[in-house]
Amino acid sequence: MNPTLAVPALVALAALLLPLPWLAVAPNRLLPGQPLAALAALGWPVVVAALLVLAALPRRAPPAAAAFSALAAALLLVGATGLGAGRALEGMSPAARAGLGGGFWLALVATVVLCVACAAALAPTGRALLGLGGAAALVLLLASGLIEPLSLMVEYRARADAVQAALLRHLALAGGALVLALLVAAPLAWAAFRSPRLAGPLGAAFAGVQVVPGLALFALLIPILAALLAALPALRGLGLAAIGPAPAVLATAAYLTLPLWRSISGGLAAADPTAVAAAHAMGMTEARITREVRLPLALPVFAGGLRVAVVQAIGLVTLGGLVGAGGLGALVFEGLAQFATDLMLLGALPIVGLALLADALARAAERRLALPA
Amino acid sequence: MIAFDNVTVQFGGTQALSGVSLEVREGELCALVGPSGSGKTTLLRLVNRLVAPASGTVRVRGEDVMRQDAPALRRSIGYAMQSVGLFPHRTVAENIATVPRLLGWDRARIAERVHDLLRMLRLDAAMADRLPRALSGGQAQRVGLARALAADPDILLMDEPFGAVDPITRRELRAELRRIHAETGKTIVLVTHDPEEALELGTHIVVLRGGRIVADGPPAAVVAPGADAFTRELLGGAQPGLRRLALLPAADALDPAPAPDDAPVLPRDASLADALSLMAERGCDSLALEGASGSLRAGTLLRQAR
Repeated sequence: MNPTLAVPALVALAALLLPLPWLAVAPNRLLPGQPLAALAALGWPVVVAALLVLAALPRRAPPAAAAFSALAAALLLVGATGLGAGRALEGMSPAARAGLGGGFWLALVATVVLCVACAAALAPTGRALLGLGGAAALVLLLASGLIEPLSLMVEYRARADAVQAALLRHLALAGGALVLALLVAAPLAWAAFRSPRLAGPLGAAFAGVQVVPGLALFALLIPILAALLAALPALRGLGLAAIGPAPAVLATAAYLTLPLWRSISGGLAAADPTAVAAAHAMGMTEARITREVRLPLALPVFAGGLRVAVVQAIGLVTLGGLVGAGGLGALVFEGLAQFATDLMLLGALPIVGLALLADALARAAERRLALPA
Repeated sequence: MIAFDNVTVQFGGTQALSGVSLEVREGELCALVGPSGSGKTTLLRLVNRLVAPASGTVRVRGEDVMRQDAPALRRSIGYAMQSVGLFPHRTVAENIATVPRLLGWDRARIAERVHDLLRMLRLDAAMADRLPRALSGGQAQRVGLARALAADPDILLMDEPFGAVDPITRRELRAELRRIHAETGKTIVLVTHDPEEALELGTHIVVLRGGRIVADGPPAAVVAPGADAFTRELLGGAQPGLRRLALLPAADALDPAPAPDDAPVLPRDASLADALSLMAERGCDSLALEGASGSLRAGTLLRQAR
C-alpha cells in the first residue's frame, strides 16, 4: 500500500473510531466543555466517512475516484459535525456552545491530506475540477446553515465585521512589507551583482536579521521608532508612529529581505554567461542585455524566492497583533488572552488559508515562468 | 576590409598581443591558428571592439573601430562562437532574428529571412519554434551560424565555431561554411586551434605565437620548405611535405607530354596529394587529368612540392 495514502487514512480512521474529543459542549464560550467522541456526536455518518476513506486506498482505485471519495469524506465530516452540534445543543441555553475538539481537526486535516495525495496523480484539469468541486460544496455547506450551530460559526457571526476588517488589514500589512522588502532587496541585489565585493557583507547583514527572534525584533522596533520620532518629529506628519503598522511592516520586511535578495542575486547570476557574451557580441547594449536576457532568465529563480517571501509575510505579520498593527494576529492574541479557542481559530484559520492560497498561486506562476522541459 | 596596424593589447599586466599588423582583404577566409594563449581570440575580438587596443589602430571597412559606435559596429558584423550562446528562453526563430530585430527590420522581412536561413543551413523549418535545449550540438551550431548571418553582414567572425561537436558533424559544418563562403563571398575571420581545419578552410592563414604573428600568407606558402619552423611543425606535423601537396591543385603541375593510354584518370579538382596517392596505389608514375590534355608525372609533381 502507498504510504502517502495509508498514513493520512490511518490517522483519519483513528480520529473517527477512537474515543477522542470530537465536540465539546459547554454552557458558555469561555468554559471548557463536556467532550463527545465522534460516534456519539455524529452517529452513522462516522461509518460512511470511514468507508469513504477506505475507498480511496486500493491501488487499483482510479485516482479521480479516490480523490473525490476523500473529499466527500471531509465534507461529510464537516456537515455531520454541524448537525451533531445542533442536536447536542437542543434544549440548552442560547449561551451554550458546541466547540470543535482535537478529534475533528485531526480527522479533517487527515482527510484533506489524503485528498491532496490522491490528487497528485491527476491531470491539471482533474485537479482544477476537484478544487472547484470542493469550494462549491463548502459554499453550499455554509449557505445551508448546517454548520451554524458550531461554536466557531457562532463566534464568527458575532465578529464577522472585525474578522473581515482584520483579513484586509492583514493583507495590507503583508503586501506593504513585501513591497518595502523588494524596494530594499532589489537595488542592493543589483548593486552586488555589478560589484561582487558587496555581496558578502550584504548577504551577511540580511542573514543576520534572521537570527533575531521575531517577537524581539517587533518589540525592539517600538523604542527605536519612538526615539527616531522624538528626534525627527516631522516624520509623524507622514503617518509614522512607534506602535501600529510601522513596526509590524518594518520588522516583517526585514525578514523578507533575505529570501528576496537571495533569489534576485541567484536569478541574475543564473543567466548563462555565454548567452550574455553572445548578446554583447551581437551589439546589444547593456540595458538591453539586462532587459532581454538577464531578467527573463532570472524570473523563474526570482519567482521561487517571491513565493517564500509571500508565505513568510502572511505568517510574520501575525506578530503585528502584538504591536498594535491589527490584522488577523490581533484576533489570535485576543483569543489567547481570553482563553477563547474559537476567537484564536478565527484569526489562525484565515492565516493558514491565506498562506496556502498564496503558495498555490505563486507555485502556479513559478511553473508558468519556468522554461518548458 | 580589416586592417590591424601595429596593435598591442594588454590584459592587466600581461601583453596579449604585441605589435601585430595584418590585413584581411574582402572575400578572404582568414584562419587564425596558434596554440592556446597565443592571442588569436583576442585578435578576433579586436575587430568588433569586444577588446580595445592599448596602442595601434584597427580599421574595419577603412574606419578606425574606436571611432565607431560599438553596438552599431557589432550589429554590422556576424559573430559565432564555440559555446554558441543561444538565448535559452527564446525560440530558434527568435534567436536567429536577434540582430535584424536590433536593426529594426519589420516582421515580414524578419520572418522571410529566418525562413531563408533555416533553409541555407539545412535546418528543418519545424525547428523554428523550438527552444535551444531541444537541439543537438550540431543543430545548435547551425542555429548559431544562422544567427551570425541573419542581418547579412559582409564580415563574419567565428571563434572556434566547430570545437564542441563530434568529428562527423564538424566535417559537415566545415563543408557548410566553405559552401556559404563560396556562395556569399563574405569576409570571414576564423579562429581555430585545429591545423587541418585552418588549411582546409582558409584562403589566408595567420599563425600566432605568444602574441605575435609568425606566419601570414596563403596556405601552401606557410607550409612551404622555407617557411617558419614553428609554423611548419604546427600546421604540417611530421609530414609538412604531404600537407603542402594536399594544398596544391594537380592541374598546376600538368606536363604537356600526353599521358599513356592506360594511365589512370584523376578528377579535375584533385590535389597533388591525391595524384601521389593514386600513383602509389597503382604503382605508376604518370596520370591523366580529367578533361585536360597532357599528363601528370611523378618527377614534376615532386618538384612542385618544393
